[in-house]
Amino acid sequence: MSSAEVVEVEGHIIDSLILAKVLDVILDAGADYRLLDVEIGRTNVDPSRARLEVSAADDDALAAVVAQLQIHGANRVAQVDAVTEAADVDGVLPEGFYATTNLPTQIRMGGHWVEVDNPEMDCALVVRPDGRARTVPMHRVRAGDPVIVGRDGVRVAPLQRPRGASPFEFMSSEVSSEKPKEQLVARVADRIRAAKAGGGKVLAVCGPAVIHTGAGPDVADLVRAGVIDVLFAGNGFATHDIESNVLGTSLGVPLGDGLPPEGGHSNHLRVINEVRRRGSIAAAVADGYITGGVMFECVQHGVPFVLGGSVRDDGPLPDVLTDVVEAVDAMRVELPGVAVALMLASTLHAIATGNVLPAGVETYCVDINQAVVTKLADRGSHQALGIVTDVGLFLSTLARHLVP
Amino acid sequence: MCPPEHFGVLYEINPWMHREVTVDLDRAGDQWSALVATLIEAGATVELLEPQPGLPDLVFTANAGTLNNGNYVASRFRHPYRQPEVDHDVAWFTDHGYNVAALPEGIGHEGAGDALPFRGVFLSGYRSRSDAGAHGPLSALLGAPVRPIELIDPRLYHLDLTFCPLDDRRALVAPSAWDRYGRKVVEALVPEPLVLDDDEMLAFCGNSVVVGRTVVMPSCTPRVGRQLELWGFDVVVVDIDEFLKAGGGCRCLTLALDVALGPTGPASGRSGAATEGAPPPSSETGAAR
Repeated sequence: MSSAEVVEVEGHIIDSLILAKVLDVILDAGADYRLLDVEIGRTNVDPSRARLEVSAADDDALAAVVAQLQIHGANRVAQVDAVTEAADVDGVLPEGFYATTNLPTQIRMGGHWVEVDNPEMDCALVVRPDGRARTVPMHRVRAGDPVIVGRDGVRVAPLQRPRGASPFEFMSSEVSSEKPKEQLVARVADRIRAAKAGGGKVLAVCGPAVIHTGAGPDVADLVRAGVIDVLFAGNGFATHDIESNVLGTSLGVPLGDGLPPEGGHSNHLRVINEVRRRGSIAAAVADGYITGGVMFECVQHGVPFVLGGSVRDDGPLPDVLTDVVEAVDAMRVELPGVAVALMLASTLHAIATGNVLPAGVETYCVDINQAVVTKLADRGSHQALGIVTDVGLFLSTLARHLVP
Repeated sequence: MCPPEHFGVLYEINPWMHREVTVDLDRAGDQWSALVATLIEAGATVELLEPQPGLPDLVFTANAGTLNNGNYVASRFRHPYRQPEVDHDVAWFTDHGYNVAALPEGIGHEGAGDALPFRGVFLSGYRSRSDAGAHGPLSALLGAPVRPIELIDPRLYHLDLTFCPLDDRRALVAPSAWDRYGRKVVEALVPEPLVLDDDEMLAFCGNSVVVGRTVVMPSCTPRVGRQLELWGFDVVVVDIDEFLKAGGGCRCLTLALDVALGPTGPASGRSGAATEGAPPPSSETGAAR
């Protein structure tokens, strides 16, 4: 991640070309800037003032640029350490706590900027005994934890501005149902390959429509081929995946001919019941009850999955975490290393995932409903691409690109 | 101006200074007196600052501070050798009724040596001696715009070695001493520049004093002399080589007291050392009082 610092330059910075020079110095040094504000003097005696955030690849590069800027009169804006206050009650933050964003964040402690370990939005920052800080959701704070209050000594790094023809350029966060899908999917496949080549993990968040549309085998292939590293879903997705593999139906509808048989509506209940009898999905796989499908492949290949429950669940499957707070915590455990997130025809789980993802994770939201895609893309995920299409078509195309 | 009683090269703070070089104090005194006589003959009034033992560079009064309309901003020297000069400068300006002001702590600026008025603005040199950050506060204290120019040649450590306002349209300029932004700024400001080549620049042609239509120079090439005469100036070359041993020329030995830049109006056109223009803070007029 990059380091950033705010500098200020004042005076007749326009006429003297000092501002132009300062900006050039920054770019020539391979660093970058964001103009925070510029005040132009009204008369030719009034000084002008510009504040800019300078970002560079690392602390050393930043210090070098800032030192160079000082020669031209651009000075670091005076900075102070972050202020902490001890939480007085378990699960309750001190008043005035700093509420996080999902952007890379640093705190200033003892005059030094230190990275916050796990950026996540809508959390608090707790300083650890070693001086580092981590994001902590409200319910996890304990009485006595030093929680950062106010905005002093906290800074958020903007995501790197892509230079030139970035491979991510096509992701404009724009949602459209009128884009050529084949090409779009091919580029998503390219990005997944690139992320995996860089050691990043791929997270799939699946809704039940993935199974209803017949894309279960494609997802199973992606898990088996090692493309998907982590799976988040709910009771519905896992149930219909197992149902389709054990009984050949999804919510009672045969995936073969699509003609609903007599009594099919209870198929999923019978499947849940049998898995509950065995104690877990893994046990049902070991027992030979489940012999294929996404959950089967996850168990077989050690791909971690988190199933979060909801109030309308049937059963639920024994693996479903019915305490939602516990479910989100379990999701957090699986996030480190995730570089790409695929939100596949899921609304609630995708939003829950979006809430806990750092901003830098490339996120692809696929749904037939444009409103869902827009909602996901708008929830603060900076690198999110919405793709309005049938998830079954998307996944079969993606599997064609990525499964050998 | 300050008589060179205690002048000498006692330390090295610019590439011209070498402690093994001996200054001939008698000769320096004669050269300085001749310069004073030349300036007075050209129409200037000269006021004196008391020399002080142990402060050899006090003779270079151009660095005593920056002036505009009766406001005096004291210098803040980069090198500790020259820092004790400030008290004497401030005392003189206080005694003579100027509004005395100081730059914020930690910001260096070496006075008129690095701040020359031209067409309504001060050009201010920075990097070698003065800080770029000085130009904002300086502008506020002087009530005039200040445009910083980066000096890139350590031999030309003050702006007054590279820039000399002649009248409201003309100036001697040495662009190769400035960075490309500085060149653009001066190019936009000076309608008729006389560009000095590197030899002329390093012979301190630019460190001249202008009194009315008389240009008093430490050296002058025939080319520069012809152009100045074509523009209607009288060129007087004075011998001040004892002072060149310390890296200072005519301009460095003087401080113009009659600078009067309008705060917002159109270019006043007064060059710092010219005698023409608005009355100075006291009743006298003259370049180097």
